[in-house]
Amino acid sequence: MQLHSIKDVLPDSVSSDFQNLNRVNKQEFCHLTEILFQFLLEPKEVKRFMQQLLDFAGEHGMSAGPLRSLMRSVLLVSQGALKKNLTAEQMSEDLLTLGLNEDKATYFSQKWGEHYPALSKQAVGQTLKVNQLVDMEWKFGVTVGTSEVQKAGSIFLQLKLMVRRGNSTQNLYMELTLPQFYHFLHEMERAKANMDSFN
Amino acid sequence: MAADVTTEDFTNLQLLLKAPTKDAVRDVCVQSHRGPSRQLTETTAATFSIPAAQAAQLTQSLHTLSHHVLFQNLTSPDQILAVFPEYFHSSLKNLITKILLENGPEWRSEVLSHQVSLPQLQDLDWRVDLVSSSDSLSRVAVPTCLVQLKMEDPCPSADGDSVSTVTVELSRESLDTILDGLGRIRDQLSVVAGK
Repeated sequence: MQLHSIKDVLPDSVSSDFQNLNRVNKQEFCHLTEILFQFLLEPKEVKRFMQQLLDFAGEHGMSAGPLRSLMRSVLLVSQGALKKNLTAEQMSEDLLTLGLNEDKATYFSQKWGEHYPALSKQAVGQTLKVNQLVDMEWKFGVTVGTSEVQKAGSIFLQLKLMVRRGNSTQNLYMELTLPQFYHFLHEMERAKANMDSFN
Repeated sequence: MAADVTTEDFTNLQLLLKAPTKDAVRDVCVQSHRGPSRQLTETTAATFSIPAAQAAQLTQSLHTLSHHVLFQNLTSPDQILAVFPEYFHSSLKNLITKILLENGPEWRSEVLSHQVSLPQLQDLDWRVDLVSSSDSLSRVAVPTCLVQLKMEDPCPSADGDSVSTVTVELSRESLDTILDGLGRIRDQLSVVAGK
């Protein structure tokens, strides 16, 4: 089976799962699609996803087990499609190849197209980031005096950068003098101008 | 910590009268400011032909005097002359005052740049990358900024390095937020400067 979304060999269950999906009626299919996209847009909400499937199974007199494995297959195809940046058309082709009937394939790929910008934004957000800056706090003031100089009047700026390292956040504290601050500001403006040129 | 200059200190300072040249006085004043050291004591004892114990006391008293002047920010000749007692040798007093006035600005800026502080930002380098692919998306076109900050800790821990480098990744949104914050700081600074 040649799919756009997945180049590896598919598990056996996938074909039969999609056949089973054909037996679901239109209204139920719409509901399932909604649940699926909600999860794809918020992949951290696993519990909620599971609960929604359980509720759905209860409402429509299905058993939860087969429903879960069915959704697993749909998820597999969807996640592969997202990785490969599939268009709505390509998604539709894949679904038809997998044996989904035309109505459902068209509906699903239409929803795919609608949600695609949000989905890819979410996927970009999950792209590997090294030492990502999560937050920055600052304060600045005047040094009034020190143990060496009774009356001073120099301006200082203190920055606290919160950097994500793996699962935890590391705090970096630093101090800048006024010239260093202006240099920092200037460099950041240059970086931003450079980034903006990519638009 | 700047201590007061005592009568004993002035007694010790009179030892400067034994200096062979004015330059010798200048040298010992400047080096004492940094802090007492055995080497300095030995050199002074040799130059001035005085016992080591007296040399040590001399450098300590000079240190106390120069730090007192620095702490009080005495910048005019009159202010410094006023520190000396009446009986102090007049020309020596003028010479020491002159040396303290000459070095004052340099000492002040040096101490202000080495004061108690958080690690100081020494250097900043940045790079903008265009992410073209990732394991979660095979085609991406998202710019990202990497900033390398070099910081120097003025008081590093016993086994720690004084200079530390950290590289931080910023998304476009983070960079915007940072610039927003920095802009506000700049505005506030110009308000303060305007006052």
